[in-house]
Amino acid sequence: MKKFKQNAPAIPILVWFGLLVGIPLIFVLVLSFLSRDSLGNIVVEFTLDNYKRIFDPIYLKVFFNSFLLATLTALITLLIGYPVAYFTAKLETKKKALAILLIILPFWISSLLRTYGWIILLGNRGLINNILLNLHIIDKPLGMMYKFGTILTGTAYMLIPFMIIAIYNSVDKLDKSLLEASYDLGAGKWKTFFSITLPLTIPGIAGGFTLVFIPALGLYFISDLLGGGKNIFLGNLINSMVTKGRNRPLAAAFSVGMIVMVLIVLFIYNRITRNNKERLL
Amino acid sequence: MNTKAKRFRTLYLSLFFVMLYIPVLSVIMYSFNKSPSTAQWTGFTLDWYKELFSDRVIADAFKISIQVAVLTSLLSAIIGTATAIISIYVTEKMEKTLNGLMLLPLLVPEIALGVSLLLFFSALKMPFGITTLVLSHSLFCVPYVYIMVQLRLKEIDISIIEAAKDLGAARWQIIKTIIIPLVLPSIITASLLALAISLDDVVISTYMAGATSTTLPVHIFSMMRVGVTPKINALCTLILVGTFFIIGFSQIFNKKK
Repeated sequence: MKKFKQNAPAIPILVWFGLLVGIPLIFVLVLSFLSRDSLGNIVVEFTLDNYKRIFDPIYLKVFFNSFLLATLTALITLLIGYPVAYFTAKLETKKKALAILLIILPFWISSLLRTYGWIILLGNRGLINNILLNLHIIDKPLGMMYKFGTILTGTAYMLIPFMIIAIYNSVDKLDKSLLEASYDLGAGKWKTFFSITLPLTIPGIAGGFTLVFIPALGLYFISDLLGGGKNIFLGNLINSMVTKGRNRPLAAAFSVGMIVMVLIVLFIYNRITRNNKERLL
Repeated sequence: MNTKAKRFRTLYLSLFFVMLYIPVLSVIMYSFNKSPSTAQWTGFTLDWYKELFSDRVIADAFKISIQVAVLTSLLSAIIGTATAIISIYVTEKMEKTLNGLMLLPLLVPEIALGVSLLLFFSALKMPFGITTLVLSHSLFCVPYVYIMVQLRLKEIDISIIEAAKDLGAARWQIIKTIIIPLVLPSIITASLLALAISLDDVVISTYMAGATSTTLPVHIFSMMRVGVTPKINALCTLILVGTFFIIGFSQIFNKKK
């Protein structure tokens, strides 16, 4: 009873979250088991059809595509971002502050602008094609838009700051004496990196992977603008089902599928960092 | 560290930062291009900016966006600060629950959150418009305020509060006269960040906007889907300048403490 009295002020907050996150998510879960009539109205009748349709080869491919995009995005941002984080952590104080500012600044630049920038660069009449045409390296524009690689580039570009910040936090906290000990014992640079630095920064890598993978699943506007509707991902599919198809129960089932993918990633992240105090989330 | 490794480090970082900013800079550059096509640079002009100011649709969308952002930022400041203060009085278990709940809106993919709110609000027959936009935006702005205010709260010297208690101050008096003034800079910084986050949101706004309440980013997205025009470049550049202004302003408050 005393505990309840102590916790009473938190009740409105719990209600707020319950109303805006809890109930809508439960509602989606319930809706995903309902059917609809030919007009798109929801019919209260239990069915597993929506989930069965996920295993339709067309839809299964969309799931696979999204998983592939999110995984490759995480891998690319890791490969490019790790050295950035590692080198930044080794800079002198003043340069370090500047580098961190430059890494964080894109968070405050509209994500639409950053996507649009790639259209300006890669489009048939874009900057890169212009330069190459004017230098007579090519005689007709390279088709760089509307490909899987274009979407991958755009998504990785959007999310790489998350990866760098997560790894940077890990690298910056490294106990320098461990590295010195390793050098003193005669281990080379690479050996020290692979047997000390890399294993100790795994929480940062796992954190970055999670922070990149989750949004990469749902950033439908990037695939919409850079993919031109040719490549369909989970986000685009859910979006068109809700706005155009009016098949809400099916959209709900796909949203549940997306959330399940997120939960799996969070579960793996938890397992990897279970015994680590430096965890991010 | 030897110079060769140092040179490689500098080269890698410089190359990375150039790549990071080239897309942004090209958007800004072409907003001043005379030719409506990006195929060539035909000279400097401010015409595209002039054209923006005579566009009624953009002006309306901008008005909606500002209203939503200001209301979101106020609501988030109140809820986020209240939750952060409450979190120091509740049991440890409840504090952990609150911390976990605050991460939730940031971990669920935005589109899943947007769709779930859309389905929920339309089942409730709630009209879509400024209210739904503000409610949904504050969902992911509150956590920022909460985290920033909580960080500041942990820096407060406990002895001040103990002294106030010993002198017979009631809890709400302590909150009003000691805690809130001390965390005020963080509240201002965080609500300015919330303002910027709300102004930039596309995904959730797409679902939450009613027929007459399109926000600026939603409108820009639909413009971009149609094609490339320097008008979009000009609009994006203005928003960039505006956002940086807000963020810069927020940092002034942050440093004053």
